[in-house]
Amino acid sequence: MIGMILFHLLVFPGMLFTAIAGLLVGWLDRKVSAWFQFRVGPPLLQNFNDFFKLLGKETIIVKDAVKSVFVLAPLAAFAVLTLIATIIGMALFYNLGFAGDMFVVMYLTMTFSVMVILGGSATGNVYSSIGAGREMKLLLADELAFILVFLVPIVKSGYQVQFDQILSYQQNAGAIIGSPSGIIAFIIGLLCIQAKMTLAPFHIPEAETEIVEGPFMEYSGPLLAFWKLDHYMMYVIFPFLLVVLFLGGFNLMGLGFLWSLLKYLAIVVVMIIIKNTNPRIRIDTTLNFFWKYASPLAFIAVILAVLGV
Amino acid sequence: MAINQLSLLVLVPLIIAVLNLFLPVILRKILAALGLVWLLILNYQLFINPVAEIVIQGVAVLAVDKLALVILTFIQILAVIILVFSLKGVSPKIQKPYYVLYPLTLAFCNGAVLSVQALSLLIFWGLSGIALYLFNLLGDEKTTPETAKKTFIIVGGSDVFLILGLVLIWFLMPHNGGALWNLKIGLSGELAYTAFFSLLIAAFAKGGGFPLHSWVPDYSKDAPVEAVAFLPASLDKLLGIYLFVRIVWSLFALNFGIHLFLMTIGALTIIFAVMMAMIQHNGRKLLGFHAVSQVGYMILGIGSGSIIALIGGLFHLINNTIYKSNLFLALGSVEKKTGTNELEELGGLGGKMPLTFGFALVGALAISGIPPFNGFFSKWMIYQGILDLAKGVAPGYQVWLLVCLILAVFGSALTLASFMKFIHAIFLGRRPAKWDNISRAPLNQWLATGILAALCVIFGLWAIHLPITKLILPVIGEFGFSVPQMLGYYNPILVVLLFGTTLILGLIIYWGVRKVRLDAIYLGGMDALEHFRVLGTEFYKEIRDMKPLKAIYNGAEKKYFDIYDISGRCSFAITRLFRAIHNGQLHLYNLWIVLGMLILLWVVL
Repeated sequence: MIGMILFHLLVFPGMLFTAIAGLLVGWLDRKVSAWFQFRVGPPLLQNFNDFFKLLGKETIIVKDAVKSVFVLAPLAAFAVLTLIATIIGMALFYNLGFAGDMFVVMYLTMTFSVMVILGGSATGNVYSSIGAGREMKLLLADELAFILVFLVPIVKSGYQVQFDQILSYQQNAGAIIGSPSGIIAFIIGLLCIQAKMTLAPFHIPEAETEIVEGPFMEYSGPLLAFWKLDHYMMYVIFPFLLVVLFLGGFNLMGLGFLWSLLKYLAIVVVMIIIKNTNPRIRIDTTLNFFWKYASPLAFIAVILAVLGV
Repeated sequence: MAINQLSLLVLVPLIIAVLNLFLPVILRKILAALGLVWLLILNYQLFINPVAEIVIQGVAVLAVDKLALVILTFIQILAVIILVFSLKGVSPKIQKPYYVLYPLTLAFCNGAVLSVQALSLLIFWGLSGIALYLFNLLGDEKTTPETAKKTFIIVGGSDVFLILGLVLIWFLMPHNGGALWNLKIGLSGELAYTAFFSLLIAAFAKGGGFPLHSWVPDYSKDAPVEAVAFLPASLDKLLGIYLFVRIVWSLFALNFGIHLFLMTIGALTIIFAVMMAMIQHNGRKLLGFHAVSQVGYMILGIGSGSIIALIGGLFHLINNTIYKSNLFLALGSVEKKTGTNELEELGGLGGKMPLTFGFALVGALAISGIPPFNGFFSKWMIYQGILDLAKGVAPGYQVWLLVCLILAVFGSALTLASFMKFIHAIFLGRRPAKWDNISRAPLNQWLATGILAALCVIFGLWAIHLPITKLILPVIGEFGFSVPQMLGYYNPILVVLLFGTTLILGLIIYWGVRKVRLDAIYLGGMDALEHFRVLGTEFYKEIRDMKPLKAIYNGAEKKYFDIYDISGRCSFAITRLFRAIHNGQLHLYNLWIVLGMLILLWVVL
């Protein structure tokens, strides 16, 4: 029993699987982004090389920083993402409820942002602090819409809050994206995860040209490696979340596997396209966008779901 | 004749308070500490041996049931912990009255919870309000007298409604002889509704529910920090919500419309108070607005009519007293070292006061509902309860309930935002040079905050096994309900084990490859001057300046939504009118007399 739990956590669908898949999808991101810019792009294993190279580099820590927080933040973020990956993966690959339900995952995703904020703020660097503040505002911007997006499958499935039950409902009644409320919620959900991953146009907390990677500015060596890995792991976790909530999960048998892979890759490619075709927007514009447009739209989706549409 | 234990819970602190009037400070502390530990033991014995009610002239006056026992338990626990914090650090100027008022307040609060008769409830409730006022007067801010007056008017004024409510109940149930609680009065007719809303006002004013909350943030800023942790953060919350539970679940039999109304009030309390908390620049005021916001979750859960949400609401009451007093005391430790609670003046103290920082962080994460701390579990139960309710109602009501849920969940994100600002402004970010020689908080202070932080963890991990099974489920059983199946699934211990395993693995990898070098802050080659510092207080300026929030915030800062100020303005307007018509001219007075007589004649005839 303990062995199986550890396997799920550390190997599949948890840490190792999410990390490897994330680094590979990260390559896809870099490659497609390069094509958009008429470049060749990196080789397949470039992200692995980067990660291991960073592990061997020096860790520079600010003398006056709160060092424990600075060191623990990226590792705790890594642990949180592994946990989320395991919970979602267990539903997706094994059709099992594991450790927590949708509310647990909703709050755990906030925990990742907490770690970014704490890690960035621990250094005392002005750019890191600005980035940390922006990270929080970005979370506030997308969270309202994210909550509403979560509510649509909950309502559609007859008020189920466990991932496996949402999947079971979709196996019987068809994917939630097949309904008007489902389509609206899925599109808003896609934008929310774009913001949660701080991908363009929402890369406001990092804003390289403006605040030099923000919360991550003082990070180097293995700790930066973990932040990079965390970022790539999200390329697996958040699209998987949308697959569970709206696309009816995965079918791993025969041609179903190919279809499942396509569903996942379609989400990733759309995210990469949005990322490469939009400039960074200001934080107040983001707040306005999510609170005044995306959230009311998502609320309409919730009302439609209540009406059974 | 053996003395009834229940009377000891009132008499012991009362006697300590009287003795402390005459003792030197050191003996006051010792006596208060010994007395409070004794009370804790007495309280524990109530769990083991049931105690007979106290009857005076054939009327039961004091008694303890399961709900009262839970409230009493946390009153004694928090009183002991906050006393530990107070042993070293209370301003010498106020030490003497402090150690008189402290046990006195405890006696009144214990008395109010034990009361099962209208008159004794009124007396103890009123006296606890006076103790709240007197504690406020111990503060040394310029605005302290004004705040004390405001507190007294709102909390004391609400006692009038308590009297009205209890008298109306006596009218409704004349054969009951003023006995309270398990009456289940149906809400039909004006009298029943008036009684219900009157009692609700009393409960909200004490607990800090919207719109009677406005004394809490002011009190938080202007009273001594120990008093704030003791009363608005802990004991008053326990009393106010205790009365609220009684009103909703045993005094009246409510209809769905009233449940919906209460849930709406709860959701609005959450969102209004947290939005105000976000923009505060003073640490204590920020925490004060959160003390209000958290009441919203309790009102939402307890007022919903769902058993799961009731359990969640009661659990949230306990949790809130724990992490809120933790946060006030942690800020108190900082304040006692630096002499300020203005967030703009603080920063980077995490390295200088690591234990206080760690415990405050636990409190901040717990109040924000981050798993696996206790705050998440209670919120999670409240959410389950609301969804469970929504399953069985018409679509219109479903949407209403979902809006309440959305506001509650989003309120959690706003709470997190507010506490990230709090933590950043005090403990993280750049430390001003003037705080370079700050030392750690004394042992008694971090022991108090440490125990409270430990409770946040323990109640989060073993929520079902400890507080819910041992304390709350017996209350639910006594109300005559069974616990329905939960919709969701959450195993906090498994979550922590999984998280911990990966964290340890990450640490091992880091430890194995690390080559650490310490260096100065990097600002692209520029000197890291002290004024290159982000205060944290301006984190949410964009939200403050957003339309239409800007107008609401401006209105709130001018106190347009403060019931105390609104009432004040109305009274002054009426007074001005009367002043204008009483201008000292005789013929005008004659006119008023004639007009008055004509009106009287018209009414009588």
